[in-house]
Amino acid sequence: MFPDSFHISIRGPINTAVQSLVVNYGFVFKAVSQTILQAILFIEWIVRGLPWWLVIIAFMALTWQATRKATLVVIVAVMLFVIGALGLWDLAMQTLALMLMATLISVAIGIPMGIWLAKSRLMRGITLPVLDVMQTMPSFVYLIPAIMLFGLGKVPAVLATIVYAVPPLIRLTDLGIRQVDGEVVEAATAFGGSPRQILFGVELPLATPTIMAGLNQTIMMALSMVVVASMIGARGLGEQVLNGIQTLDVGKGLEAGLGIVILAIVLDRITQGFGRSKLEDGQNG
Amino acid sequence: MLSAKLKYTLLAAGLTLGGFASGANAASYCADGKTVTFAGIDWESGALITEVMKAILSKGYGCKVDSIPGNSVTLEQATANNDVQIFAEEWIGRSDVWNNAAAAGKVTSVGKTFVGASEGWFVPEYLVKGDPARGLKPLAPDLKSVSQLSEPKIAALFKDPEEPSKGRFLNCPSGWTCEGVNTAKLEAYKLTGAYVNFRPGTGTALDAAISSAYLQSEPVLFYYWSPTAVMGKFKLIKLEEPAYNEACWKDLTSASGKREAGCAFPAVEVAYGVNSTFAKEAPEIIEILEKATFPLEEVNASLAYMVDQKADAVAAASQFLKTKGAVWGAWVSTAAKARIEASLK
Repeated sequence: MFPDSFHISIRGPINTAVQSLVVNYGFVFKAVSQTILQAILFIEWIVRGLPWWLVIIAFMALTWQATRKATLVVIVAVMLFVIGALGLWDLAMQTLALMLMATLISVAIGIPMGIWLAKSRLMRGITLPVLDVMQTMPSFVYLIPAIMLFGLGKVPAVLATIVYAVPPLIRLTDLGIRQVDGEVVEAATAFGGSPRQILFGVELPLATPTIMAGLNQTIMMALSMVVVASMIGARGLGEQVLNGIQTLDVGKGLEAGLGIVILAIVLDRITQGFGRSKLEDGQNG
Repeated sequence: MLSAKLKYTLLAAGLTLGGFASGANAASYCADGKTVTFAGIDWESGALITEVMKAILSKGYGCKVDSIPGNSVTLEQATANNDVQIFAEEWIGRSDVWNNAAAAGKVTSVGKTFVGASEGWFVPEYLVKGDPARGLKPLAPDLKSVSQLSEPKIAALFKDPEEPSKGRFLNCPSGWTCEGVNTAKLEAYKLTGAYVNFRPGTGTALDAAISSAYLQSEPVLFYYWSPTAVMGKFKLIKLEEPAYNEACWKDLTSASGKREAGCAFPAVEVAYGVNSTFAKEAPEIIEILEKATFPLEEVNASLAYMVDQKADAVAAASQFLKTKGAVWGAWVSTAAKARIEASLK
């Protein structure tokens, strides 16, 4: 047995810290939570308010834009139709709204962070281990403080999803920018480009395919979090899966699971399509 | 040290157990090397009682014990299938899975885990009476019954941030038996228009939401039950409901029942749920379970200990075994008691 005298515990201090945060600064977190909530409700209001056929048409248009493949456009339409036919339309839209919100915030955090990491060796040294922790820590560990601080429901669900989903975007943005050919950057510098011009004119466009791969990963991870997010009261397909598990209703769980898979495939094809077309543009142009 | 009555019980227990040991079926369930698997139920009292009983069987009777985690419905099903032998805190009559398994003779209930458990819809006391110590004025001084919940000003107190036009009722986690009953009650009390039926997903999430609201002195309306640490820790007021009657309860608990009138939860019968095959194979263990009734105040005290000391169920169980020998000593044979006590040193 490990000797007791070396025993340290961070349980007490952490519990006390969370409790005092809740008691003393609860209102700050409430305010943050309100802001995020309004944004989520707005996105939800759009996707749940639009008629179903308009949503399907929008997805078809996006798919066409991304891939230029007519067969894929038809497949996407059929798959989304299946979600509706399974009676999961409204739930799927709720899930979609949560996921879009999480993805938007992830992009807002992830891409600047990735650029910073690519530019600073020190920053990379500090951040990479943090990203490891974010991806491997069992999600329930930070769900509980998230509930205490932000209440139950959509907001902590989105925040927990971001913690899980943002690391690949940061990593791949960093990688994409560092992979840009040094000679190209040198040439751009020789022509008198400022760092800002080089970043937006050369590095980011060249890194786009990698960044899109990161975005694709982020969206997939956000989708894989929906069941976990439903444990803290987020509605949508995840809750149906959870309910299916908890009541031994295999059929119900499977139906909703199928809905998640369809959403995942559709979003995956679209983001991959955008990544690929950028890659081809880059090679042709 | 032992009272005369206790001695007598112990003697009786010892004799019956001795009788089994010397009979043809002498090779008891545990002596055959079979494992007694408990339902790894995870709510506080369930976890504590499971750990106490596991310790008693393993230390006192040399049983191999195990528990598999899961939620109540899954574990009830597992008990019916004999994958789990003992479900230590079964609220009899609450779950279709259990009722069907009992009707089919696959499971049976043994003894009483504890007596006097209760459940209902609660609000924090400061909401009704205020709390001068924390400088809180009573926000709903007249609130005492579920019938008042439909009043707009009461519903507005419990405002749901995601749907601000409605109040939020914190239900049981999705899929728990009580969730169905509460959902039926919301309909029966005609509250579905005024309240969001909010299901937190897990028990931990429910607890966290309640503690968070309590710490911030906010209004919160929720379902809860005793014995629990939350009940011991916080001052809560149970809202009055129309008196229990069987017909109404039948409607509330069946999926196809009417939702016309609600009524209070019935008095709770909490027992050890046991697989029927196991019950036949291991009469010596059933004998222990029949006697093992935890006094409710001891359960509450142990749960409070768990919360205050941040102890887990295993630690709380061993604390219970160390300090409450007079309670559990009556359930087991003298020899087993000595073995358990020796193992605690």
